Amino acid sequence: MSPIAIEADSPPQSRTFMRRFAGAPLPWIMPVIVVIGIFYLYPVIDVFRLSFTNATLIGENQDYTLGSIANALSSPQLPDILWATLIFVGGSVIGQQILGLAVAVTVIRGEKRGLFGTTILRTTALVAWVVPGIAGGIIWQMLFSEAPYGALNSILRLMHVPTVAWLSDPAMAPWSTLISNIWRGTAFSMVVMYAALKSIDPSLYEAAEVDGATASQQFFFVTLPQLRAAILVNMILITIQTVNTFDAIITLTGGGPGRATEVISLYVFNIVFRNYDLSGGSVLSVLMLIISLGLAFVYASFLPKEEEQ
Amino acid sequence: MSGRTGTRLGDAMSYLFMLVMFVFFAGPLTYLLSMALRDKREVYRGAARYIPDNPTVQNFITVLNNSYFPIYLWNGLKLAALSGLGVLIVALPAAYAFSRFQFRGKGLSMMGLLLFQMISPLVIMVPLYRYMNRLGLLDTHFAVVMVYIALGVPLATWLLKSTVDGIPRSLDEAAMIDGCNRFSVFWRIILPLSAPGIASVFIITVIAGWSQFLVPFLLLTKNDLMPIGVGIFNFRGMQTDSSIQLLAAACLIAVVPAIVAFLSLQRLILGAMTSGAVKG
Repeated sequence: MSPIAIEADSPPQSRTFMRRFAGAPLPWIMPVIVVIGIFYLYPVIDVFRLSFTNATLIGENQDYTLGSIANALSSPQLPDILWATLIFVGGSVIGQQILGLAVAVTVIRGEKRGLFGTTILRTTALVAWVVPGIAGGIIWQMLFSEAPYGALNSILRLMHVPTVAWLSDPAMAPWSTLISNIWRGTAFSMVVMYAALKSIDPSLYEAAEVDGATASQQFFFVTLPQLRAAILVNMILITIQTVNTFDAIITLTGGGPGRATEVISLYVFNIVFRNYDLSGGSVLSVLMLIISLGLAFVYASFLPKEEEQ
Repeated sequence: MSGRTGTRLGDAMSYLFMLVMFVFFAGPLTYLLSMALRDKREVYRGAARYIPDNPTVQNFITVLNNSYFPIYLWNGLKLAALSGLGVLIVALPAAYAFSRFQFRGKGLSMMGLLLFQMISPLVIMVPLYRYMNRLGLLDTHFAVVMVYIALGVPLATWLLKSTVDGIPRSLDEAAMIDGCNRFSVFWRIILPLSAPGIASVFIITVIAGWSQFLVPFLLLTKNDLMPIGVGIFNFRGMQTDSSIQLLAAACLIAVVPAIVAFLSLQRLILGAMTSGAVKG
């Protein structure tokens, strides 16, 4: 303990002040409050305000009106955008959840049995996760490309199988973006599922084994019920992440062909920063916000309460 | 006997699944490498030249020499590192307070932080663009770093709080009895003992900053201020099918630093994540 017991070298008066000042939580939290207030809370309030105006990105003058809300919500493109978003988000959530769980289960089994390659697989999945969104889009474009260098089609050609219009067929392109997003996002689910699996009490499996449960029975009657909370939390987190993703799509398809892969975040981006329609973009931002916050509240209600010491 | 065959079969299936997954996760990255090492003619051979006949590093040399790439790399590193530092400065005191103080509304404000984490940067960028414009802060790295910090603070505070939670309170108390005030407890005990957590939060923030596209894309217009994410996006716009090998090299240059940073601290990062906010 001796290195800690250091005499304070400041005079007693300022020491009392310091003690009182530092003894309250507010000074410690102040930086976070300031940063969040300026860069999050204020802009969010302003987005609400802007959605009741007819503001553009270039003009300074604006009037308050409900017209932008009506326009944005009655836009004939909106149903297509929402549909594309639903496919992209729903598919990503299902795909990443199932694959993440499968990889986590396999990794844990592999670790227990000392199988070769467990760590390699875990690390490779995580590496895909670290790849920046823009780069991820470029990488998958090289794989999906219908030009001669496209990896998937050139493999199909080598096997004398008809090639696929991965990115230029409006029916196919959403699946292609989905695959690339599952590639990038699965590691997150894997980490969450891995942690949740590790925290399952091993005596549950011992009891199941004594009762003669097969491996698949153990999975469906012990593992899955124990993972329920983690799966739900994970699904909500992936949903929010995916709703907000657009950088990977910008480089992969740019939202096309047509509007087949234009998800809501990309749509907002285009409306505001290509059409300079600030108010319309704000209306849709509010829509995105409501979706995210709704999910976040569900998420919060499933988190364990802050422990009272 | 049948139990053993079952285990064997399970192992075989595990291996098969692991192989498929390995190809799925590693395949795209190795193809990127393969493209980046090719010359113009081999690019058109597609997957048939997975291992190029004439591997060349010329593409990397071209990318690093001609364009703005070294500047992009430097800007990316600078912005990411500064935001990592800024996040720590803002989040560490708060993490200490959330861990050690009891006060009204604590649980609620922790939850509030998490809610902000869920808001898309796109939502706040619309008004922020206008403010930065009015304040004359467009085309400054200052504005970009401040927004990065704001984006990183919520998660960082949660992760750091769980790190501080792991330090026994008896250490604080002993130090206080020995005459330390809260500042010196924070400085002499909490900071050194949470070094692993601090390192992982720093690296998580740096990687997130390195991957950022939206914020710099909107707040910066001058090419010599752009970080790597926007850099490769613009670079891509200038390439054609015949220079795809250059794009691959550029992309690889952008990806590798993040991967190296992540891999070197993988254990720390995963430890912080699984003991922190992610825990269900």
